[in-house]
Amino acid sequence: MKKYALALAGAVFALTAVSSAQAAGKTIAVSWKTFQEERWKTDEAAIKAAVEAAGNTYVSTDAQGSAQKQAADIEGLISQKVDVIMVVAFDSDAILPSIKAINDAGIKSIAYDVQFEDPSALYITFDNVGVGRTIADEVQKAKPEGNYAIIKGDKGDPNATFLLGGMMEVLKAGIDSGKIKIVCETFTDGWKPDGAQKNMEQCLTSTGNKVDAVLSQNDGMASGVVAALTAQGMSGIPVGGQDGDLAAINRVALGSQTVSVWKNAKDLGKVAAEAANALAEGTAMDAIAGVGKFADGKNKVEMNAILLAPTPITKANINVAIDAGHITKDQACAGVAAGAVPGC
Amino acid sequence: MSDKPDSSAGPAMQKEGPVQRFFRATEIDQRMLGMIIALIVIWCVFDYASGVLRGDFGGLLGGSFLTPRNLWTLLVQTSSIAVMSTGMVLLIVMRQIDLSVGSMLSLVAVVAAVFQVFQLGPVLGVGHPAIWALGVAAAIGIGALIGAANGALTAYAKIPSFIVTLGGLICYSGLAFLVARGETVAPMDKTFEVFGGGIAISWLGPFWSWAIAGLACLGIIFGIVNGRRQRQRFKFPLRPIWAEVFLASIGSAAVLGTTLVMNSYPWPFKLIENYAVANNVPIPAGIENRDGSAVCMAAEKIVRCTEGLIYYTGYSVPVLVALAVGLVMTFIATRTQFGRYVYATGGNPEAAELAGINTKWLLVKVFALMGALVGISAVISSARLNAATNALGLFSELYVIAAAVIGGTSLAGGVGTIYGAMIGALLMQSIISGMSLLNLPTAYQSIVVGVVLVLAVWLDQLYSRRVK
Repeated sequence: MKKYALALAGAVFALTAVSSAQAAGKTIAVSWKTFQEERWKTDEAAIKAAVEAAGNTYVSTDAQGSAQKQAADIEGLISQKVDVIMVVAFDSDAILPSIKAINDAGIKSIAYDVQFEDPSALYITFDNVGVGRTIADEVQKAKPEGNYAIIKGDKGDPNATFLLGGMMEVLKAGIDSGKIKIVCETFTDGWKPDGAQKNMEQCLTSTGNKVDAVLSQNDGMASGVVAALTAQGMSGIPVGGQDGDLAAINRVALGSQTVSVWKNAKDLGKVAAEAANALAEGTAMDAIAGVGKFADGKNKVEMNAILLAPTPITKANINVAIDAGHITKDQACAGVAAGAVPGC
Repeated sequence: MSDKPDSSAGPAMQKEGPVQRFFRATEIDQRMLGMIIALIVIWCVFDYASGVLRGDFGGLLGGSFLTPRNLWTLLVQTSSIAVMSTGMVLLIVMRQIDLSVGSMLSLVAVVAAVFQVFQLGPVLGVGHPAIWALGVAAAIGIGALIGAANGALTAYAKIPSFIVTLGGLICYSGLAFLVARGETVAPMDKTFEVFGGGIAISWLGPFWSWAIAGLACLGIIFGIVNGRRQRQRFKFPLRPIWAEVFLASIGSAAVLGTTLVMNSYPWPFKLIENYAVANNVPIPAGIENRDGSAVCMAAEKIVRCTEGLIYYTGYSVPVLVALAVGLVMTFIATRTQFGRYVYATGGNPEAAELAGINTKWLLVKVFALMGALVGISAVISSARLNAATNALGLFSELYVIAAAVIGGTSLAGGVGTIYGAMIGALLMQSIISGMSLLNLPTAYQSIVVGVVLVLAVWLDQLYSRRVK
């Protein structure tokens, strides 16, 4: 009994401590879908820093890759009466009842990086269609006409479709005028680089090597594409990818990849945290800097959104990634002759 | 394999038709024959279909499948799964399973790559001749250790191998992620890359390919002669001479035919050009022809032409590694005490234990062997990609198990052959490569591979019921 009382007293003390901390500022909560991938830790560090810099408190929950746990997590956050809940949705449909509950409780919500279609939330992400657009744009600059191969990501991932949409927007004029011909277009299970390598090999076989440029939907798959091209002595034809993988930035420096479109998670975290701070202070959603309308989701629901432009890393601006501390100069420039590439 | 008495005269023999007599005399595994026929049918269908779809690329039926180039690529693409499937056969024969090979491959590849690129590279200097050897040794060693751990948990802690390796499947992929924090580790050592078959020095060229083929033919003839002598020594029934000659010629023809195909795949045009320029090889003069595979000079320009400077690839290193693994594993499975114990234990675990076989230690050894083979596959896959990532090898356990099962390994234990599993792997990769040649979406590939797996086992059941 005594132990119980002690524990209870401790709990009450802890609660008062928390509420006194809340009194100093607003509380920004993040419901993460998982920490399985390294990048979310980068996002979290950026969000936490920006939230605390504004004198607010950061709390978080981790759904560990489960839609049910995420729903329970959000219920918990609502009952803690936080001011803003940022959600990285594990399942963008299953999350909708939770978002409604957040809205009903008068709490502001932010869809962070993963979209769910609820007009009460502010959607903050990199412009994924734009990433596809940028990949295609840079490759097209290097090779304005010829046969293109497109190595797509996993068929179940909506990002693969967004990326393709962006690529096609850019290539459409070239395809219509007959300058560009898409000779291969394949999905790759699980975005696997070795799968992409096999797909690329089959593409080269089926076209008799008549491929002039390759659009890969990420850098891991681009490594497979480059390996397949190297085996045919074709390394050096324009190849585009995204993610800013360290190995990919090195390939850009070496010239076997044309562009790696880099989405700096630190930028995304910072912008989202600043938006959350503003929402907590009662700023209207559409009064926040950079907010526009977005209605290109699955069900075309119109939402307020901040779409960040990603950074294309090419031979000309490798220093951007080095200066941001994303990659060391040694890693980026391994095997590159001194002075051959600006920034190395 | 071929040491059971067969040609004994009896009343049953008189009733046999010529076909049955042929199979009885040659002791050809009818199941394997069926698989090879299925393989040939699949190849022809893909060749025909790709020809209709894309136009002529010089394949046998007018498509791009039955071309030296595609068959060459097909063998390289199969080698990683084929290597692992040989170990999976022994495990399944022992009534165990390893679901963790895919994740283990990711883990081993990433650890060996990190070791090679971040530890050995800076210490020894990039390109040091010891790096590739240490990298390969590390991969095989780590694989064997992880395998042994799987085996020890199964054998001594008495956890079912399904559970141990299911845990491994989940756990190792996490570890693989942590080791490199999800990043791609690249590039590999230049010599290490030879194991991937993606660069010119990993191609043997026609001379050495023919030399190996010659050795293999001699080996086949020696094996048949030696087998006959052994049978005489132990007074086993002999195959008729015509059957021996037939087997020797079929075996040699297969070896020579494969070698011929490998030797007719020319180096890619650009590589010939680069090589010629780098090594000051004179390029013969010729007339411009953009569709040839050799290079020659037209005025001041180097162009493609039909007659001119040309090199042929021959066998590539990963394929040879896979074939060597197949040979060694067949020897281990059929000619060593260890191998026979594995089959005995799989056939009847209690009897094997009562007969004095240390089945627990045996299990650890089989799992460790599986792990070492995963190490070899990790070397092949990471060298081929010239990079290692935690996505490498993902889901490959499914293909490895499917290859073993399509190849006739029975999940009930005690039955299975190494060559069957390797042909099973080739069959599966043929379907996948063929469909991707036709530009069919991966969803269709998955559907077809799944159906083929179930169909293969069903046909097998029908066949063995009929034989009984």
